[in-house]
Amino acid sequence: MKPWSLLLVLLVALPLVVGVVNLPPHDAPDAPIHTGVGVRYLARGVEETGNKNLVTAVLLNYRGFDTFFEVVVIFTALAAVLALPRGSAADPGGAPAAAAKAANGSDIVPVSPVVSYVVRLMAPFMAMFALAMLFRGHVTPGGGFQAAAVFAAIFIALGLVLGPTRVAELVPDDWRPWLQGAAPLAFALIAAIGWRLTGAFLGFPTDDHTAQEAMGLFLEVGIALGGGVILARLFVEMET
Amino acid sequence: MSDVFDAVMLSLLIATAVSVARARDLLAAVVIFSLYSLTMTLVWQHRGAPDVAMTEAAVGAGVTTVLFLITIARTTRREKP
Repeated sequence: MKPWSLLLVLLVALPLVVGVVNLPPHDAPDAPIHTGVGVRYLARGVEETGNKNLVTAVLLNYRGFDTFFEVVVIFTALAAVLALPRGSAADPGGAPAAAAKAANGSDIVPVSPVVSYVVRLMAPFMAMFALAMLFRGHVTPGGGFQAAAVFAAIFIALGLVLGPTRVAELVPDDWRPWLQGAAPLAFALIAAIGWRLTGAFLGFPTDDHTAQEAMGLFLEVGIALGGGVILARLFVEMET
Repeated sequence: MSDVFDAVMLSLLIATAVSVARARDLLAAVVIFSLYSLTMTLVWQHRGAPDVAMTEAAVGAGVTTVLFLITIARTTRREKP
């Protein structure tokens, strides 16, 4: 190991170790986590947001801005990948890939019928699980992001078995831009509606539980559709 | 019991993390990294964070593993010495 890399490792590791050693014990009542703003979330979160799952309450209601820009980050990641020039495997820069493929012998390994059958058999159940997480996310663990990840996993599993182009065809061309931007668009719309109703950007009407729940559900659906389509598109972009 | 579980899981995390860094075969590194994510899923669940556990399992162990595998298929499997 070079002396510089050892020094770098020590410089990074030392603050980490000091920080971890000085963490308060998990059940210490005076730890910052039990005295800060979290106390209010725990005490009044259910009543104020109408979400029985406090994780969802924090993500969508108390920390809506953070979640808004998290989905913007995911959207930007896909935009960056789509902006890359295509077909780099054919030019001289892609020579290692061609060499590796030649060394491995064959280019394409046929999909095992067992894997293919199991993936196609499980896909509807996975979709059911994703839907359950999406629409029960305000009560049980889960929510838009988790549902998005499972939706994307179904697409990718099917894409590995059936081929990425067949899976990509499932989403019509006209819908693609809207679905890929679904999460930021849903947030922008809800933020505007909240502004209209409460006077605060991304505000939720605390006195009207029906409107609050509808807005939360709309956000969750937006995150699930947008996030899922973005993750799946990343896979399709790399595979084709 | 809980302490034993934590000790086993954290040792597994350290062992997998070091193996990922040491592996010269990138395919092996990706598979071990997926194991790291699965262990992390159990740790999250054990710590009472099922939301994070589900995301870790789906994104950490699932989606990123596939994306890494595609990258290896398109580039090369061996790390340059």
